[in-house]
Formats: sequence, C-alpha cells, structure tokens
Amino acid sequence: MNVKDAVCPFCGCLCDDIEVEIEGDRLVGVTNACELGATKFLGGERLKSPIRREGKAWKEISYDEAIRYAADMLLDAERPLLYGWSGTHGEAQCVGVHMAELVRGVIDNTSSVCHGPSVLAIQEVGHPGCTLGVVKNRADLLIYWGSNPIDAHPRHLSRYTCYAEGFFLENAFRDRKVVVVDVRKTQTANIADEFVRVRPGGDYAILSALRTIVRGKTDTIPRMVAGVTRDQLIRVADLCLNAKFGAVYFGLGLTMIPGKYKNIRNAIELVTELNRHTKFTISAMRGHYNVYGSNEVNTWMTGYPFAIDFSRGIAFYNPGETTAVDVLARKECDAALIVGSDPAAHFPRRCIEHLAEIPVVQLDPYPNATTAFCKVQIPVAVTGVDAEGTAYRMDGVPIRTRKVLSSDYLSDEEVLSRMYALMQEALKR
Amino acid sequence: MTELLVKNAHVIDPLSGINGETMDIAIRDGKIVEEVSAAAEVIDARGMLTMPGGIDSHTHICGTKVNFGRYMSPEDMRAGRTPRRGPMHATSGYSVPTTYGNSYRYSVMGYTTLLEGAMAPLEARHTHEEFTYTPLQDTMANTLFDGNWSIMEAIRDGDVKRVAAIIAWTLSAVKGFGVKLTNPGGTEAWQWGKNVSCIRDPVPYFGVTPAEIIRSVIEANELLHLPHSVHLHCNNLGTPGNYTCTLGSLGLAPDLNPRRQTLYATHVQFHAYGGSGWKDFSSKSEPIANLVNMRPQVVIDMGQILFGRTTTMTADGPMEFNLYRLHHEKWSNHDVELETGSGIIPVIYRRKNLVNSVMWAIGLELALLTKSPWQCLLTTDNPNGAPFVRYPEIIGLLMSRRYRDAEFATIHPDTGSRVPLPAIDREMDWYEIAVMTRAGQARALGIQDLGKGHLAPGADADVAIYPIRIDEVDPSADYQKVIDGFSRTEYTIKRGRVVARRGECVVHGSNSTLWVRPKVSENYDMGKDPEFVEKFDRYYTVRMSNYPVQEQYLNRSRCIETETEL
Amino acid sequence: MMRVNLTLKPMGSWSIPIEAESIIPANFLSGTDLTVWRGNRELGLEEAFSVSVVGGADRAEDVEIVLAGKTARLKRVGEYMDAGKITVLGDIGMHCGNFMTGGTIEIQGNADGWLGREMGGGSIICRGNAADYCASGYRGGRKGMTGGRVEVYGRVGDFLAENLAGGTVIVHGDAGDMPGAEMRGGTLIIHGDCTRPAANMKDGACYVYGTARWMLPTFRNLGTVRHEGRTLIQFTGDVANRGKGNLFVGNYEYLD
Repeated sequence: MNVKDAVCPFCGCLCDDIEVEIEGDRLVGVTNACELGATKFLGGERLKSPIRREGKAWKEISYDEAIRYAADMLLDAERPLLYGWSGTHGEAQCVGVHMAELVRGVIDNTSSVCHGPSVLAIQEVGHPGCTLGVVKNRADLLIYWGSNPIDAHPRHLSRYTCYAEGFFLENAFRDRKVVVVDVRKTQTANIADEFVRVRPGGDYAILSALRTIVRGKTDTIPRMVAGVTRDQLIRVADLCLNAKFGAVYFGLGLTMIPGKYKNIRNAIELVTELNRHTKFTISAMRGHYNVYGSNEVNTWMTGYPFAIDFSRGIAFYNPGETTAVDVLARKECDAALIVGSDPAAHFPRRCIEHLAEIPVVQLDPYPNATTAFCKVQIPVAVTGVDAEGTAYRMDGVPIRTRKVLSSDYLSDEEVLSRMYALMQEALKR
Repeated sequence: MTELLVKNAHVIDPLSGINGETMDIAIRDGKIVEEVSAAAEVIDARGMLTMPGGIDSHTHICGTKVNFGRYMSPEDMRAGRTPRRGPMHATSGYSVPTTYGNSYRYSVMGYTTLLEGAMAPLEARHTHEEFTYTPLQDTMANTLFDGNWSIMEAIRDGDVKRVAAIIAWTLSAVKGFGVKLTNPGGTEAWQWGKNVSCIRDPVPYFGVTPAEIIRSVIEANELLHLPHSVHLHCNNLGTPGNYTCTLGSLGLAPDLNPRRQTLYATHVQFHAYGGSGWKDFSSKSEPIANLVNMRPQVVIDMGQILFGRTTTMTADGPMEFNLYRLHHEKWSNHDVELETGSGIIPVIYRRKNLVNSVMWAIGLELALLTKSPWQCLLTTDNPNGAPFVRYPEIIGLLMSRRYRDAEFATIHPDTGSRVPLPAIDREMDWYEIAVMTRAGQARALGIQDLGKGHLAPGADADVAIYPIRIDEVDPSADYQKVIDGFSRTEYTIKRGRVVARRGECVVHGSNSTLWVRPKVSENYDMGKDPEFVEKFDRYYTVRMSNYPVQEQYLNRSRCIETETEL
Repeated sequence: MMRVNLTLKPMGSWSIPIEAESIIPANFLSGTDLTVWRGNRELGLEEAFSVSVVGGADRAEDVEIVLAGKTARLKRVGEYMDAGKITVLGDIGMHCGNFMTGGTIEIQGNADGWLGREMGGGSIICRGNAADYCASGYRGGRKGMTGGRVEVYGRVGDFLAENLAGGTVIVHGDAGDMPGAEMRGGTLIIHGDCTRPAANMKDGACYVYGTARWMLPTFRNLGTVRHEGRTLIQFTGDVANRGKGNLFVGNYEYLD
C-alpha cells in the first residue's frame, strides 16, 4: 500500500509531498524525501518496552511503572527541568506545558541551542517574514547567510526557493540571483552568484556596513570590513536594492557566533531598512521539524517561546538563566524529563555532567546518547510514522503529520497525558 | 439532566424585546427552557442586571498573528501574570494575553462568544488549536479572502459564482465562519511592497480594483446564504483623509438581505479621518455616521482607542509598516502565499498627542452619532485600540456625558476644534449597551437563530449577571460603578454552567466552534475543479490534501450548513 | 539604625537557586517574618538564613542588611529597593538590585548576571567582577537602566549596559563584548578594553579608555579630544542606526 502526501518529520521544511510504501506493518519505501528524511521514515531498531536502570544493567518494565516513576520524580523535585519538545507533535507539547505549570518546573525546548538568539532578536525588533510560498512565487534574490541548505535542509532550494517554480518568474532557475554569506565556502556557496566570505565573527560588522550603504552613507565605511571589500559590499547592497523581492534565510552560522542575537537583530534591521526601498523578508532555517511548533505552543500557553520557569507559579522568562543549558551547567535543577531530543549529543560537557547526577527520564523511540544518563526510558511512537499530530513548518504554517503505519507504541501525547493525570491525582490528595 | 434556575434576575434581552423585567430564567442541559423541576439548582440574582452572554464580533485572540504578537513581546507578557489557581491555568500578558488569559478575562466580564477577526486560510489550523485553549467561550473565525488569487482571477473573468464557489470550498476546508476582507487588494500589492490607494486603484498584475473585490464578494456571500455578511476592513486604514475612501466603500453595499446587514465594516474609527496630513488631522465621524444612518444594510463597529499601551495587529501589512515608520518601534510582518498578510507593532496612545486625542473622540462619536445601536457595535478591535479588558470604560463613556467631559479635559487642548464630540449630549441607556455588546452582535453575525445573544427558550444558556442594580445607579453620575460592574460579573453562565464568579473562573470549560459549510452542487465543488487544483498544486507549498483542517481540531464542532444558489 | 545580619545556611547537595526579593531594607522595618523561595518551595527566612537584628529603625534609610555565607546563588536581593543599604560580604547571585530606585548596594565579591537590571536610581558598587548584562534591560524592552549609578571595580561580562537610557555605569577593569549595545542615553565609562562598544547606539555617551577591539565600521571619526587628562578619539554613530551618540576611545582596531 502507498500513502501519498505524507509529512516528513525531519527538518523545519516539513515537506508534505512524501510517498511511502507500506508492506504489512513495515515501511519499505520512501519517495520524494531527501536522504535525511528517508532515513527518518525508515527508522532504526527501537526499544521494545520501557527500561529502567538497575545498577549497570537495564530492566524492562511496564508502561505503568515507567510513567509512575516519571510522575513521582517530577512531583518530588524542587526545580524539575522538562526539556526537548522539538521532535514531537504539538498536542504532546501542550501536555508538557500543563505539567511544567503543575509541578512548577522549568520547561525549555531546543531553541536553547539553535535559534534562541533569533527569538531574542525578534523580541527586540520584530520580524518581517512570510510563508515559503511567497518566496517561491516572487523572490528574485535569495540570500543564505550562515546557513547551508544543501547539507542541512536539502529540499529547501528545490521545493521552496531557487529551483522551485514561481508564479511571477518566467524561468525560476535563471531569474533568481543567489548570494551566500559564510565564513567558509560551503556547498551552497558553489551555486551562488555572489559569495561573500566573512572573517569569523565579522558578520555583525558586515551587516552594519550594509545598512549604512543602503542608507546612502557609504563614505563612512572603511575599504575593508571583516575580510570583505567595500566594493563587494556595495555590489551586494545594489543587488538588494534592485531586487523586486528579496529573501534572507539565516542559520546557526549567524546565531551561534559572538554577539549571538545581536547578529540576527542586525540582519532584521537590514531587512527592515530595505523595505523602505523594495520588498524584503527574512527567516530562520529552523532545524527540528517541530521546533517552531514548540515555540508556538509555549507562546500561546505561557506567553514565551522557550525557557519558561514556573518555579514561582507565574511564568518567568529569561534566556541565559532559564534556558536548559544554563540551568544544567549551573546545576540548578534536580530532575529532568527529556522528550523528543537528545541533549547528551549536543550539550556542553558541564551540562551532561549534571544530567548524570540527577534522575532523568526520557521519552524516545530509540536508544540515543541521552539513554546513558537515564534512569528510565519510555519508547514512544514516531510522529509522522506511527503517530500523528500537529507540526509547524519553519515559516509558521501548521501541518498535520500523518500516521502511515500502525503499531502498539503509545504516542508522546498518550504517555504524557497519563503522566499528567497521575500528577494531578497526587496533588489532589 | 442538569437544571439551573436563576431567580430574580433583572433582565435586559433586546432580541426578545425585554427591557428591564425582573424574572426567573430556567435552564436545562445547557439551554434556556420555559421551566425546570423543583430539583433544579437555584441562583438568586437579587435583582441584578442580567443579560445574554456578551459577544465580541471583532477581536484578535487566536492564531498566527496574535501568537506572534505574544512571541515578540516578553515585556507585555510580564505585565499581567497569574499563577495556576484552582481550575485556572497560569496566564501572562496584558495587551496580547495567553489564550487562557483571554478566555478567563473575557469570562469574568460576562463574554461567552468570540469571533476571531482574521484567520489566514493556510494557517487556520493554528487558530483552531488556540481556540481549543480558549475554553470558556464559543469561538468562530472570520476567514481572509482579501488577496486570494483565485478569487481575483474569477472577478477579473466576471464570474461571481466562481467567487462564491471558492469561498464555499475554503470555508469548509478551514472551518471558517465568515468572509473577511482586510484592505482588499492591498495585502496582495504589499507582497511587492506596494499598496492600493483607494477602491478604484487596481491591484498589481491582477488588474481588479478593491471596489470590484468588495462588490463581487458581497454578491458571492449572499449567493452562499452565509449567516454573516461580508466583514470589511476598508482600504487606507489610519491615513488622514481616508473617510472619503470609507464612504465610497460603504456606498458599494446593496441591500440584499432582509435579516441582517449586507456589509459589516469593522473598526471604523480608524477609517473616519479628515485632513490632508497629520497637521490638519480631524474627525469625519459625522459624514460616516450620516451614511450609516441612511443605510440599514450597513453595520459598523467602533474600533475605539483608549489611552495607554497596546499592540496593533492586523492582516493589513502595508498599514503596519507605515505605522512602524511613524513610531519606530519593533515591526513584524507575515505575508501568506496566495492569500493575505499581516503586520504587528506595539503602540502607546497618549493623551498629550493630538492625533491620538482625535482618534479617541472619533470612536465615541461614531457610536453616539449612529442613531440605531444595532448599527454600531462596541469594540476596540482588540487589542488594536485597547485591550478588551477596558470595554467597561467605553460603556462608561457612552453612558455618561460627565465622564466624557472629565476625560476630554485631560486630552490635547487642540482636540476641541477638530472633533464634534463636545457638542454631543447623548447618553446611552442600559438597553442600548445590551444591544451594542451582545444582541447587535448576534444579529449582525447571523447567530441569533443558533441560540446566541438572547435568552428566549431554546437559546444557549449563556448568561451574564452583573453586580449592578439599574434602578439604584445613575450611569450619568455614577460611571465608576458602571465600569466596576461591567468589569466583573457576579455570575457568568456558559452552556448552563456557572463558569465565572466574582472574578474567578470556576470550571475548566470546553469551547464550541461555529463554522460554515455551504452546500454547493458538484459543478461548483472547487475540490474537483481541474484549473483550481492545478493552480493549487503549482503555487502553494502545501499539498491540497494536507490543507483542510481536520475535524479533530474542533473541540466541539457546530457546523452550520447553508443552502446556496450554486 | 538597624543592622540586619543574614548568614545563608548551607543548602542541599546541588545548588537550586534561592530567590530572595524579600531582602530589601524596607521589609525589615516590620520584622523578619519574610519568606524566600528555593526552586518551587517557599521557605521561612530563618529556614534559609541565620538572622540577627541589632538596633531599630523607623525608616528604610536607617536599615543596613549584611549578607554573609555562600550567597553566590542567592538571586534577586535588593529588587525594587528604594532606600537603605545592603552589604554583601561575598559574591551575589543574579538580578541583584533589579528595578532599584534608591539606596545603596555594596558587593564585596563578584556579582552574577543582570546586576542592577532596569535600575532607576540609587547606587550599586561591586568590588569584584560582574557577569553578563550588568546594568542592562529586560528581553524585548526598549529601555534598560534609566537612572542611578553602577560602579564595578573588576571586569564585567558581555552586553554591559545594554539599552542604557539614563544614569551612569563605570567599570574599572575590562568589559566583554558589546558593552553599550543599543544605548540611547546615559553615560558608560570603561577604564579598560572591550570589543564592539556602543553597537547600534542611538544616543548617549560611551567612553573606552583602553582599546576598542573589533571596532564597528559604522561610526564616523571626529578626531581627538581631551577628556579628564586623557586624549581620546571621538566617534559619532551608530550611522547604521541613524544614531547621534558619542563614542570616545583611547585606541581602536577594526576587524578588517
């Protein structure tokens, strides 16, 4: 049996044109997806049942036992951390927020280690953006800044930007110009009409210089800025000003460098400035397929996109303090529930050291680096494969992922709802 | 079976023709009934003012744009935080509160039904997700068609039935309620960084004018027999001299429907400006109100501003950018492919600012100069003019000339020469306020037959009991009592249950969503129209099969099927 | 005069922070029946501290609080303080002196992040180092510190005096990256070195007596000036942001 228009639960592109081939209870073929997406669909060896660490060994336990353990752990904690959320569906994220509120914990998602700085920048100056289809149909100039879609978002170029058919472009491929800004020549730089190679750490200065040139104050700018000649900057500014519709897509190469959110703020302010002359938009290349959904859910339920501390009952938000990396590095939590992410694979060592000292429960279909730090791991269905639910694309478009396979695994939402019910009951007593 | 009897209620229920009678209200299983058994639970209203639950016919509470307002405003979030308490979840925010914040605060004010003013079809799922977390009100969404490519093409081809068919397909797909036009044509032009100047200015590439869009969509709306009329946010919002454009737009509406208006023009305060620039900016509420007085087919809402901080958000992207260039605060914009757009900026309306002072006067003038309260409803275009929690202040201003004068004395001294407000004596009464906050909304939205906005047997048992005894309060003098009374109900009853009591919400609740499915013949099913399908496949970035909002997103689905002329 | 001695008791094995916004001079006028929070648990003041009070006072101006013990994780001390004095004998945790409008806080050790956030008046003296966001604002807010004075004798971290709108900030050591970012008023003086000062500034005055590294290319050089016995190079900007602020540096290096 083939399922059409399945939704890929890998990256923020959230491609919804995937065709999967099902034989019995197995997924045997994937068409239209990129390699990363296909691998996600085909999956690997999953845990069969919840497991609990006993000394150096793992013991299989029932879902009831595992869920009870997690609920008690969260109830006992003075400052539990509920982290992850980008690799699960919105309905599960909502339960997560209710849980954090109930036990007065800290809830944070993977924005902490990817586009958190972008959120902070948007909170300072706003965000002129659009859905991907607006770019597809109109953009004649694309700027990839500190992002390398060919590696990280392989279908971004073909489905949404450079190579996608556009209503207002006669020949999309020929009519669009591409600028790549990066510290090294990436694969994406190879297809650029203009490659701007910046000295590491120099993006902020480049952005300020471009804003100044767009304002017509070119004489202020020195001949060389962070490894880039003024002439090239003038050329790039002209490309922007002459475009009918320009779109900037930035990645971790702009968020995770010195100055962090100030780089994004500067990029947004450049785009805002350009809007006085022509049409320009800017968007983040979000990583996990539903990290943006986690930001959305957190925002409508708590008011803040990530890093929310309910210790005092009300929602307190202060990235740099209430972000998971900071909470762990400063040893400011005493239990952790991890859902839909693998912090041990991405976090600094100091954070992982603290994870090793506190009780940790993880919901994840597969054993991963974080498994080594868990007291209990609960396998769940994979959203988009054997569970369905809402995900938000990198541009904010919500799409319902499909369940293309049936299995006996519970979804994240089901496991968390049972956990939440136990916690509510315990607090009633 | 659950039964409730509200005794000794002093009822104002305009749709039932009741203006101040002390009576009992019987409720069974969520509906108003003639009588209940002796076993019914009893609430003694002790003569307090009792009305049908409040209805907001134009508010921004759920969806992509609203959530982005929250997302970008941590400084607003910290301005109104409460912890989890009883059945109430934690809330944050002042001008753009969290969904629970909206729901609780509206409930405490006696509101039981809310219409989200602008939902982009492509992002409808988001609006419905947030509705689910707005548990204490029934919800519905106006759906944006202002920059819809297929509709503009059908208009260019002169095919109004096709316009209707596209609206029918889209409303059914996205579980929308009404048809919203926000700066028609302008949102498409804005995707090139341009705008349309007024209703005769053609949209780039598509060649149709806003006037043609408004007229065709009105016709299509009536062909579909939708409960609500076209809901219009006129072109040129916020610009000096825009009143001529507004008069022209309102003048386009024929009188096509005996049961309700044919055109609902929203937040008209923002569209009633005279002057050629900010220097000679003035009120043109009089010509607008005069036109409304002569045309029963038009209903407007105020879009009142109140002084203080708020967040502006609208699908009108170009307007927000102009506003950004005035205020230089943060600016967000979000264009939606093939459909519409939106913009957001925070603002502060200041008493000492002449333009803001004139704006404040215009909203009140529109309400006071429109003779029939059924034709001018109370809104702030929440949160654009002010957060909805400030509605009671507007009620106070409408009911008390003394309060208006006291406020007028504190605003910019040059305001008097630019607005007619100081000469207006009218003070509205309780009945008129009931019309402007619930009965008028129910009629304008076409939901009175669904049991909204009145308390006749068969109606939904949505009731607001305010701690006001109208025979003991002179609103003209005791306006503070009026404000306090409308700020906090004694009881808010939703679907037959007490949901809020003296400022506290007492149940978790569960909302219903009202949406429309026009029944069209096979020929007009756009889901099977080859041209429509092909265009969709080529230019949208979402597959057509993944576009419709599944029914599981609706907590309680109330589908309104309409018989159409297609 | 009243002197309140608070010595933090040793806490559990890992360091759940204690939030103690109740520790301001005015609160002790009516006794010591106050609470603090450790994570999600509310503790009586005496559960967390050894408390002793010497003397008495009728007004906050006459109250001095002396904090001792391992106070490096003690947050929000002095929040909304409007008068009196707090002396911290060791280090202090985040958010010390937030929203403060009057009185004095003296920290003999180091201060953690957000020292004097959104401060409107009064004075903070830190004898050691201060971490990131010293004298800054809140996320998304337009104005940071609006008045008062913060003086740090050691080094400070990144984003010092971000969004500075009024008041004076003086750092005797070096500052990290982006001091005075987005500043729109007030005076910032750094005796040592820093990187990228006054980025995107709108208005106000920023002095760097040492070297400004990674100097931004969007400030216009106005030549040298004499300032309190020093020769400094004066810039105006940030031109990228239509700014009219003044940036004075002893020396500068572009990242070219």
